[in-house]
Amino acid sequence: MNLLRRLLSVLLMAGLILGMPASAWAFCGFYVAKADTSLYNQASQVAIARNGNRTVMTMANDFRGDVKDFAIVVPVPVVLRPEQVNVGKPEILAHLDAFSAPRLVEYFDENPCESRRIFSNELAMPAPTAARDEADRRRGGALGVTVEARFSVGEYDIEILSARESDGLETWLRQNGYRIPPGASPLLQPYIRQGLKFFVAKVNLQEFSRSGSQFLRPLMMAYESPRFMLPIRLGMINARTEQDLIVYLLTPRGRVELTNYRAVNIPSDAEIPVFVKNEFPDFYRSLFQTAYQRENKKVAFLEYAWDMGNCDPCAAEPLTPEELRQAGVFWLTPNEPNRVFITRLHVRYARNTFPEDLMFQETSNQQLFQGRYILRHPYTGEMNCPAGRQYQQALSQRLEREAQTLANLTGWSLQDIRRKISFPKPGTTPSMPWWRTLWPDRH
Amino acid sequence: MPSTLFRDARDYQIAFLATFLLLGISNRDWSLRPVFMVVVVATCLGVQLAATLIHPLLTTPVTAPLSINVRSPLITALSLCLLLRADHASTFILAGTLAILSKFWLRSADKHFCNPANFGIIAALLLTNDAWVSPGQWGEDGWYVLLFAGTGGLVLQRVGRWDTTAAFLGAYVLLEAGRNLWLGWEWDVLGHRLMSGSLLLFALFMITDPRSIPNARLGRIVWAIAIALLTFILRNHFFLSTAVFWALFALAPLTVLMDSLWVAPRFSWQAIAQRAMRRSGLMPSLTSEPLR
Repeated sequence: MNLLRRLLSVLLMAGLILGMPASAWAFCGFYVAKADTSLYNQASQVAIARNGNRTVMTMANDFRGDVKDFAIVVPVPVVLRPEQVNVGKPEILAHLDAFSAPRLVEYFDENPCESRRIFSNELAMPAPTAARDEADRRRGGALGVTVEARFSVGEYDIEILSARESDGLETWLRQNGYRIPPGASPLLQPYIRQGLKFFVAKVNLQEFSRSGSQFLRPLMMAYESPRFMLPIRLGMINARTEQDLIVYLLTPRGRVELTNYRAVNIPSDAEIPVFVKNEFPDFYRSLFQTAYQRENKKVAFLEYAWDMGNCDPCAAEPLTPEELRQAGVFWLTPNEPNRVFITRLHVRYARNTFPEDLMFQETSNQQLFQGRYILRHPYTGEMNCPAGRQYQQALSQRLEREAQTLANLTGWSLQDIRRKISFPKPGTTPSMPWWRTLWPDRH
Repeated sequence: MPSTLFRDARDYQIAFLATFLLLGISNRDWSLRPVFMVVVVATCLGVQLAATLIHPLLTTPVTAPLSINVRSPLITALSLCLLLRADHASTFILAGTLAILSKFWLRSADKHFCNPANFGIIAALLLTNDAWVSPGQWGEDGWYVLLFAGTGGLVLQRVGRWDTTAAFLGAYVLLEAGRNLWLGWEWDVLGHRLMSGSLLLFALFMITDPRSIPNARLGRIVWAIAIALLTFILRNHFFLSTAVFWALFALAPLTVLMDSLWVAPRFSWQAIAQRAMRRSGLMPSLTSEPLR
């Protein structure tokens, strides 16, 4: 432990002496990988920018089937006029995803025999992999239904409906070509009675082919309402399995909290074996699943809470003011200090564990949090000094600790993990003659 | 003194609230900084001491002998730690100070009518930019419900204020159940709304503060139902996540009206403690109960 601390302090001191390093350096290590939403099969992404009662919601779309089958039904708190709806750029949500994704950082131990020298690192930062935007798919169906507004935006034909009875709404939707699953009516009723309207959208095939785009773009809506919520129940009509939802909440003051579910910080800042670098997506999937099961599947996970102005280490560059505006952040004014705080919540929900829609509140909590996992590469060169021997001894313990941490976080077998770790081979220490590494089979 | 410790129902309350706080911090990922807890406890005790010394000088005639109350400010401080969240220590100092001062200055017929912790929370929400309350912080685990119900029941049984909790929870459950039925949600949606640890903590430990709520049983029941109704309206029509605290704050002055409509002897912790001691044979006879 002491050795580690010394190594770290030397690294930090050297950082100060050498001045600010190149951009590939992050203050506490190299950014090497991230666990973005492309990990999950069924993941929806929603960005909500909110200040006061003003809300801009962006729903990403990962619909991969035939676009003529695509339709969504989303309960909205107010009737939306055409100018309140827009199509967004998928790159913006991908950037939000990349910026806030759980990340892997790595350090390199220096030669314990030359503790004053800093070894430069040759690892380059890989380009962020493109994150795919995911979509919320909701289908619904109507009579006694009023079409409050009907308009087209981009490749979408949109109708805003209000309804008196759920059966009527279900019939109307069916008659108008929305293929909604059976059993939708009982789920539509609570929304009708709460006075919510329904935003329904289909793809206009002519517009879609004219756009030349391969994928459907995200739908954005701007409205004003005291309700700070995200309806998830309609999305559960036809899904029996668990679904992943990533919500990016952008607010001016601080973190956004769920008010009707508990949110738990995803396990973070753990030192794990270096081989995880090659299997980071597997690692994060297992970590999430383990944490999810430990909490009895009833909680949401906080994956990121940060000021949008900076990051440390950066999984992607912060969004520019223009990108933020395109993500729905409407309160930015040029030449004035603008604060945008991002909260990334990851909810894996199923009907029995998340019976209610998600309700949020903004708080002024500015405590930063990130899902961050640390790799420490052991020094592998020759060490011919007492400090080197101490280092080797401490290293074995450290690697064992890392193996146990990894097993605990992911539920992976400790034996398998140990097999993948290169524990220190006897090197130049007196008890371990140097020729053993030359002919390992001879003993 | 082992013989007097836990004779006072407030000792149980302090022990339970401290346990909840430890559980919350160790087990629930709370974002409460330890230094803020120290600040709140120090503020509440300090202001109580200062106000106890200064208050008699400002209010004549001085009737009661001076005694420093430690239990009450400690309960207030623990409640604030459990419920209030803020970014700066100054917000906790403000909340703690106003909470304790409300006991001294917001009085009617020599009785304070605001729940001090609740007053502190609302003051912080109103007067600062960085205070919030986290209603989702306990989650919906069943064993928390049992823990709160069990410990709360123990305190309520000692102070005899279970009627308030029952009236509040009964009315609130009925209102929410009616809404659930009307909306057509399944019953587990109602279960999820009611299994909130924060709601139970409020019902068992906050609105039952015997010193600030109406003295007569009927008064308490009417008062608790009014709070349940207002909470229901604020939560479902104004979408306030902190509805219970606003409801209690808004209706606290109603205590004065209730006490004038239904007259009953005022609650005294000392009387309760003495009764307990008499029952256990530690105090042979009673001359007079100090109903100050």
